[in-house]
Amino acid sequence: MNYKVSHRTTYEYAYPVSVGNHVVCLKPRSFVDNELLSYSLRIEPAPVTLSERVDYFGNLLAYFTVQEPHKELVVEAKSEIVRGCGSACNGRDSLPWEMSTAALADDHTPEGLEAYQFQFESPRIKMRPEYAAYALASFTPGRTMREALLDLTHRIHTDFKFDSKVTTVRTSTEEVFKKRRGVCQDFAHVQTACLRSIGVAARYVSGYLRTYPPPGKPRLVGADASHAWVSAYCRGAGWLDMDPTNDVAPSDGHVTLAWGRDYGDVSPVRGLILGGGGHALKVAVDMEPVEG
Amino acid sequence: MTNDLYQSPLRYGATYEESSADGVAPRPHWAQLMESLRAIGPEELKHRWARAERRIRENGITYNIYGDPQGVNRPWQTDIVPLLIPAEEWKTIEAGVVQRAELLSLILEDLYGEQTLLKDGHFPAALLYGNPAFLRPMVGVKVPPHSHLHMLAVDLARSPDGQWWVLADRTQAPSGSGYALENRTIVSDLHPELFRNSNVLRLAPFFRAQRDALIAMAGPEKPNPRIVLMTPGPHNETYFEHSYLAKYLGFTLVEGSDMTVRDRRVFLKTVGGLEEVDVILRRVDDNFCDPLELRGDSLLGVPGLVDAIVAGNVAVANALGSGLIESAAIMPFLPGLARHLLGEGLKLKSVATWWCGQPKALDWVMGHLESVVVKPAFPAGGMEPVFASQLPEKEREALIERMRAKPHEYVAQEQVALSTAPVWENEGLNSRAVVLRTYVLNTPTGWCAIPGGLVRVAEATGSVVSMQRGGHSKDAWVLSDTPVDTFSMLRPRNEPLELRRVSRVVPSSVADNTFWLGRYVERAENIARILRSMAPRVSHGEASELGSLTLLHGCLATRHSKLPRRRAAVTYRSFEREFVSMLTDRKRPDSLPSTLHEISRIGGSVRERLSADMMLLIGQLRTAMDVDPKDPDPDYAAMLTDCLELLSAFSGMERENINRGSGWLFMSFGRRLERAVYNTRQLRVITHPLAVENWSYLEALLEVADSSVTYRTRYYTTLQPLAVLDVLLADETNPRSLDFQLEHLADLYGKLPRHGEAELAAMLDVVTRLRGIDLQAMRYPASGVKQGRAQNDLRPLDKFLGELEGMLPAWSNNLSSRYFSHARTLPSRMGQ
Repeated sequence: MNYKVSHRTTYEYAYPVSVGNHVVCLKPRSFVDNELLSYSLRIEPAPVTLSERVDYFGNLLAYFTVQEPHKELVVEAKSEIVRGCGSACNGRDSLPWEMSTAALADDHTPEGLEAYQFQFESPRIKMRPEYAAYALASFTPGRTMREALLDLTHRIHTDFKFDSKVTTVRTSTEEVFKKRRGVCQDFAHVQTACLRSIGVAARYVSGYLRTYPPPGKPRLVGADASHAWVSAYCRGAGWLDMDPTNDVAPSDGHVTLAWGRDYGDVSPVRGLILGGGGHALKVAVDMEPVEG
Repeated sequence: MTNDLYQSPLRYGATYEESSADGVAPRPHWAQLMESLRAIGPEELKHRWARAERRIRENGITYNIYGDPQGVNRPWQTDIVPLLIPAEEWKTIEAGVVQRAELLSLILEDLYGEQTLLKDGHFPAALLYGNPAFLRPMVGVKVPPHSHLHMLAVDLARSPDGQWWVLADRTQAPSGSGYALENRTIVSDLHPELFRNSNVLRLAPFFRAQRDALIAMAGPEKPNPRIVLMTPGPHNETYFEHSYLAKYLGFTLVEGSDMTVRDRRVFLKTVGGLEEVDVILRRVDDNFCDPLELRGDSLLGVPGLVDAIVAGNVAVANALGSGLIESAAIMPFLPGLARHLLGEGLKLKSVATWWCGQPKALDWVMGHLESVVVKPAFPAGGMEPVFASQLPEKEREALIERMRAKPHEYVAQEQVALSTAPVWENEGLNSRAVVLRTYVLNTPTGWCAIPGGLVRVAEATGSVVSMQRGGHSKDAWVLSDTPVDTFSMLRPRNEPLELRRVSRVVPSSVADNTFWLGRYVERAENIARILRSMAPRVSHGEASELGSLTLLHGCLATRHSKLPRRRAAVTYRSFEREFVSMLTDRKRPDSLPSTLHEISRIGGSVRERLSADMMLLIGQLRTAMDVDPKDPDPDYAAMLTDCLELLSAFSGMERENINRGSGWLFMSFGRRLERAVYNTRQLRVITHPLAVENWSYLEALLEVADSSVTYRTRYYTTLQPLAVLDVLLADETNPRSLDFQLEHLADLYGKLPRHGEAELAAMLDVVTRLRGIDLQAMRYPASGVKQGRAQNDLRPLDKFLGELEGMLPAWSNNLSSRYFSHARTLPSRMGQ
């Protein structure tokens, strides 16, 4: 499937901002089944400097500074992606989950090291016995990684209620776990925390999700949102993506943007400003399927 | 025989005593010192000890301890007896710490570069990925040579068999070298002959090497780089040292908020505009240096700093991310890494350390908990070292549970029986446990260790030595067997000195602080003068003085007055209470002691800009109004006179000893502005009907303005309101007249860089208007005349003064927004 994605972020400030330093993570990673065909970034007002860097996890970040006084900042990324049908459900069969955890510490291959780093705590994800207990109900001895993952994903989908009113980007994973409510980002954090707490290497994935209009209605432009899910390392099978918000193994309806240890590594737009007073934020995401 | 100097018999055997092998005879290299101490004698040593204590207080050498009720500015403590290290032994230590620095530097470069140590299994990946000090944005960033580990600090302890062991490494922003330098200055001054005769290796060459290494970091195309020392601010526990080193090395002391990133370059916000920064010597922890890319919840850093480093536009020492190898957990791997990377064994061993992330080590530790110290594997963990043997059963079990849950977050270390050294306490010598912190620099010409370092002394009972907990320190003398280099930082040899007339740049925050220092010193003086004039009038309690007390009190314009609101209710008793409250109440923001406290606080934050003598005065001012609680009838008038003397001394130094750069301009402007505020207020009170009949008030006013003599030489004893007005308002030769203040304010403002022409014109206009007031033509109402009509004559004057009262704060605000505002704005965070 081919997609045209546009992701526009607008900040409106109460007072002029004199200087703003920003980092954006909006350029989709390109890999098998998620191939980037084109990408452009528009920033208004035009920044005096813009530099692109690949971060430690292989994501493509852009740094820029706006130095002219401004009351509005617009950051718009447009990309074209070819998304294949790779999915955790139709790949090869996987080994018992325990075989993916213990051995990682002694695996010094690039792939092993790459996976191993996602076994550790990160600023937003701490390991806790209650997460481990929750995960172990799905990760029973000898079960294959894929089966266990699908089960955990299903349970989080069932046990947690989607509610955009109870959490913000600052809500801790502990709180989401207690309240059993949140949005895609929160569920991805919870599942990542559960997996790491039992030694499974897991990363946080940010991206986009294709949405379907109600039957008979036209597709609304700009009504989509950025999405988040989780990916777990499975020896022999590689990384298996799981979307606890929708209880699916992502396939050609999901476009991957970036991954990291948690949201903090891949937040789409962040920055520090001088001046500005309060600010209002508008995000418009549009994911348009195109005939390939 | 040295025992006669000891207060209690020397213990020996169980630990290593530095000064003596058998508790009786000194070791050979201690013989001369012990002989000299005996010759100097206990009485003189007591004097010297007291002198050292005084010197420390006077120099304002402090060490802030977190969680200490005394809070900021706790005096540093230095022993008058140095620790002696013979040349041969020093060579061994030096070789050991230099090798260690080289090794740690190689590890750091690899982990932030190719990471081959991970791929070949020499370095456990868990110690990288699990370490919060691993800064991923810094991987693959090319930083200037020698900057990864510009300076390393190594804590050394000596075990009973005489071996030195490494207890800990400090790899990101090691503290203490400045205290070592200050200790040296104090101790060598106390025993000048002993110091000369002992052939002690000097410290200055080490600091010269540090300065040169930092200059070289800017690259060959910048022979004269701008170097700043970045501090977390006056509340940091080693702030004194930051300002001391900045002054000593000739760098500008800055906080994160003094800098900004533009065009991927770092700039210092100064009163003259933005100035590019080339090298940052940082005392801010790794994670706090850039809120954009590192720890987002901190505003101590500079947003965009990492990007400027990536662009190669600024050097930071130690490079960001160097905290990674501060972890004690890497100690067990160092011998293997030394063989792998250097092809040799470790010359200086680390104290036995077990990283619990290894299953075998964890098992061993669990079996030997009673004999080890448990510490966090990663210092950012914030846990204090724990002696499991001293824990109650429950806490011990909880610790074991935590260790089993996250074993890689813990290390266990063998407890070392620290060696002891003689320390002077009150009346004589005592033997106390010591740890030596020594420093190594990475320079273009090789590794360079400080000869000696900072010796920290354990409290009388415990064997835990920690700067965070305070404690005493000692100087360390490395006794050379060859002639020593007597280089001094003030007299570089063989280097042609480039003559410069422009002194260091003034960061906006410094200008802000000096401006307010000027204002508070002047404010304190005015308050003290007014109170001193009130003193006899309060104590005499004569009814006729009630009016002048009211007027004098009006000049204080205090918002926190304790006087009754209804004028009729005001009595002598209430004035007395208000008077004492102004003199003693620290909770009142407008009282004299509170104002003096502000002077000391602001002075402390710009200490590197002030001379030692000025800091000394500030220290004395801080306690000038301390009342002895046992004194039933304190002599307030005498205290006020003493306080005024200190303030005059400060003013004198400000005039005569400070370079007339922008820093001084701001201080002076602050002082003139504050004096103008008080002048205006006093003059307005003269136009008050009450003042008309109150000669005592006019007299008091001349006293307050220190203009009695001027007045008497002109008018003898005739007290005329208009004549008083002339002296205090219009006399441009009287440094306490309003005219004098306004003229100087305009003059000072005109000298400031980037001043506003319109603002300057407005100031000059005020001077012209003041001079246009014709006092001669005014009729001042005589006593008994009906006031209503006569007051009309003074109306234009009163109107002018009223307007001026509104204008002066506006001038202060203008200055603020033009020069200080960017120093005060902190960036705010935005995100989704």
